[in-house]
Amino acid sequence: MERYDVAIVGGGTSGLTALRQLANLGKQAVLLEAGNTAGTKNISGGILYSKKPKNGRVYNIEDVFGREFIDDAPYERPITRYILHATSKDKLYSIDLTPVHEYQINYAYSVLLSKLIPWLAKEASDMSEKMGGGIISGVHMRSVRWEQGSSDIVIDTDELEPFRVKAVIAADGVNSELAEVTKARNKFSSEQLYQGVKVVIKLPETILEERFNVTSEEGAAHLFAGDVTMNHIGGGFLYTNRDTISLGAVYHMDSLMDNPVEPSRLMDTLIRNKLVAEFVKDRVPAKKSSQALISKDEEIRQHFMAVKLLKTWNNLRSEYYSRDGIKRLIESGKYGTKDEIGSRIAFLENELVEKYNYEFGDNYVELEYSTKLIPDGKRCRMKAPYYKNILFVGDAAGRGVFVGPRIEGLNVGIDDAVRAANAVARSLDRNNFDEQYLGNFYTKSVEESPYTRDMKEIDKDYLKIFLDCSKNIPKDIVGSRYGMIFKLMSSGTLRGIAVGFANMLGFDRLLPLVESVDTYVNVPVELADRLGKTIDSNYVPSTPSLQERIAKLDYNDDTFPHIQVTKPRSEFMQKMVSLCPTRCYSCENGDVILQHEGCIECGTCAYETLWRHPRGTKGVSYKYG
Amino acid sequence: MPVRPLNVGVIVKLEPDFSEGNVSYNPDGTLNRAETKNILGPHSAAATLAAFYCKVKYDAKVAIGTMGPPIANQALRQAQLISNADELHLYSDRIFAGADTLATAEVLRLGVSRMNKGLGADIVISGHRASDGETGQTGPQTAWKLSYPFIGNVIDFHIDQEGRSIYAKRFISLYGFYDVIEEIQAPLPVFISADPSYKPSFNTISERLSVARNLNEARNKADNFEKYLQVYNSEGLGADPRYVGLPGSPTIVYKVEKIPKAKAKRRVEFVDGNDTVQLDMVAKKLLQLMTEAPIK
Ligand SMILES: Cc1cc2nc3c(=O)[nH]c(=O)nc-3n(C[C@H](O)[C@H](O)[C@H](O)COP(=O)(O)OP(=O)(O)OC[C@H]3O[C@@H](n4cnc5c(N)ncnc54)[C@H](O)[C@@H]3O)c2cc1C
Ligand code: SF4
Repeated sequence: MERYDVAIVGGGTSGLTALRQLANLGKQAVLLEAGNTAGTKNISGGILYSKKPKNGRVYNIEDVFGREFIDDAPYERPITRYILHATSKDKLYSIDLTPVHEYQINYAYSVLLSKLIPWLAKEASDMSEKMGGGIISGVHMRSVRWEQGSSDIVIDTDELEPFRVKAVIAADGVNSELAEVTKARNKFSSEQLYQGVKVVIKLPETILEERFNVTSEEGAAHLFAGDVTMNHIGGGFLYTNRDTISLGAVYHMDSLMDNPVEPSRLMDTLIRNKLVAEFVKDRVPAKKSSQALISKDEEIRQHFMAVKLLKTWNNLRSEYYSRDGIKRLIESGKYGTKDEIGSRIAFLENELVEKYNYEFGDNYVELEYSTKLIPDGKRCRMKAPYYKNILFVGDAAGRGVFVGPRIEGLNVGIDDAVRAANAVARSLDRNNFDEQYLGNFYTKSVEESPYTRDMKEIDKDYLKIFLDCSKNIPKDIVGSRYGMIFKLMSSGTLRGIAVGFANMLGFDRLLPLVESVDTYVNVPVELADRLGKTIDSNYVPSTPSLQERIAKLDYNDDTFPHIQVTKPRSEFMQKMVSLCPTRCYSCENGDVILQHEGCIECGTCAYETLWRHPRGTKGVSYKYG
Repeated sequence: MPVRPLNVGVIVKLEPDFSEGNVSYNPDGTLNRAETKNILGPHSAAATLAAFYCKVKYDAKVAIGTMGPPIANQALRQAQLISNADELHLYSDRIFAGADTLATAEVLRLGVSRMNKGLGADIVISGHRASDGETGQTGPQTAWKLSYPFIGNVIDFHIDQEGRSIYAKRFISLYGFYDVIEEIQAPLPVFISADPSYKPSFNTISERLSVARNLNEARNKADNFEKYLQVYNSEGLGADPRYVGLPGSPTIVYKVEKIPKAKAKRRVEFVDGNDTVQLDMVAKKLLQLMTEAPIK
């Protein structure tokens, strides 16, 4: 059996950071990633934070990948503006939370994981190869075992011969199979999870910059709370990328279980919010229905011609509205001036209208639909994130920070990964993989992380900035209960006492009070109703059907279903008929049955099923992530 | 005693890209090679993959050779990308023109002896045949000229380096009857042709790591593949003009016919996907076809 020092399971941001950090420390590690290539299975919102906490230190991505990360990595935009909108129908009340966003950060970049992760993977594997390790993608870890009398871990996969390692770093995400097979922790329950739903929307670069009033080195984040969540605890987000928009929302799973609504419908509701609609709007061609009688052959010929023209129109327009595109086109010698390109675009539009029965109007272009669970670290972080000589990091350890509207999972996983890599390197040096020496050391390191503090207690400085941003809200407007809290909080001393008291109570008891439909829906709705301004727009986006959304995804179907329904009649499973984002479940004669082919591996149904990821290279592959 | 490194030679062929549909013919019905887009043919690609297998599995030295006009460079570059080859050979000379398979085999025989810094090859690998010259004789003829045993249609193999032999599985289709997989042991040096279905499998971590490393190296090499390219003319190969090109070709091409495009027997019917009556008919028809279909 082959032997390696360390195995890392999962090639998301956490796993790749662990690989690179181990290589930085001169250690050999092999990373297994189930996806065809790294970066095809990962979803994020996503803002990647680099932070500088006032107490203690965290490891940021550039600490591991070096200055090259900032200079070369394909991130989208630095997020420089951060605005929260309370919504009620077409009314909106906005609060500028940029100071909250900037609290303790070095920078915040919007990222698309399918672009970022391949870069991280290359950097990590180049370095790791020198140590005799590297990345092996398309391989699905099935199980681990310990042979008698040895602390070595034998790893079984669906694709390769078993191999042996001294330690494992579990970076296999929220639906960690390593946690499942070792029983290192319980499956996360609905109370501990959020369901994240997201679409990536196309918007040409310079149109985007004009619309969000940002330069090429700036970006905006808009958050939404109120009726956009259809009465669920949670909120929406819109982040600007280079020439796309990430639009999504997170919903507390408990709240979805109480009131199950299809994720695709929730997304439609968010998109139809007047402000969101105006944000994503673009000039889009659509085929008019035609009465003309033409032969099938002619129809097909016209269709192909039109598709060709549309493609040219699309490419040309993207270039026209991109920073370097015009330069590229002129340098290629195809066009002399910007105007020439403009008139060529107009000509193509005209052809499409006159000859092929197209019309151009307001709509938006959805590129990708995705869903994934997010662990709420306040409720589910593993207190001792290890099992024997396996260390859990990032989502796999249930470690993520939700502070106000901010989701921090990427940076937390990166910090964990460095700590885990450091702990494993120390064990390798001493050849000691005892729980005491490895697991406890790692647990202590993670406990010292300022992120763990954020998962345990309220930071009163952060709260103060938050309250300062909202000081223009009249105290009585949010109902007597909240009005009193506001009053209490506006005084420095009283706030200190209140927060101290709250922290004593602990998140367990506090969260059900704070994270309520009142906070997330009723208060924002009331704010918008009473103080908000009306958005003047009559554009109603026509959202794609779920079938159309699924059709855009890439699948490599596995013949074996990776999920097994074990309780076809349970209340939970009945709800999956609505809550599965790609409608994989249906109900026949009272039994819930699964058709696994459309599964996007979000994990929503994992709690009451036998849940596995598909075998290596199988299942969904995201293009944006 | 350390085993001596394995030397692999691959012979590939630049082929017209039939898949692109941009095949062009001369007025006399022969293929217009200058205007037809060229690629590394699928059969040659299978041979190249077999060489990659040797690279990963045995850390072999790989040389890839082809006879053809200077534009064959691109096929060699493609082959290098697949196999991480160390040497690329182009055997190119006006006097090679008009060669049939036997005359080609002569050039390739000489080429193989130049491969791997003149050490030749312990295994020579070719494709099953080329798409544009359906004869499938070049491989066996080159083997014959080299006096190497020939194993055709190889779908899997491994090498015993110390025992200097190959264990190969070959796929034999007895069309219409049944398929046979034959297992063969042969001494090195040997000539094998890769079956079109050949696909190497790498089942251990070390092999997968080596795959990644080799592909990485291959990309870097292919970026300046000219560095690895060696061009030989007739003289460089030490060819005897009587055995190469037209004089070395006993084949007489009597006539080349352009293959007429057969009229498709299928008929297309359009069905409105929203019309349940029409869909019902489709379902019935499918059911009927399926019940009538002979089970093979
Ligand atoms: C909608 C949404 C919005 C979010 N917004 C933000 C945000 O703005 N900022 C932020 O910081 N965080 C955000 N998060 C959270 C963040 O995306 C995650 O915390 C982060 O991606 C987790 O990274 P990870 O490496 O731990 O896990 P993952 O990215 O889930 O990686 C796990 C990897 O393991 C692989 N794998 C799993 N099982 C196996 C196996 N058995 N064998 C082999 N491979 C396996 C998977 O294929 C996958 O590649 C958001 C999440 C969602 C869903
Ligand atoms: S079947 Fe797949 S897509 Fe549907 S809820 Fe389960 S994991 Fe998510």
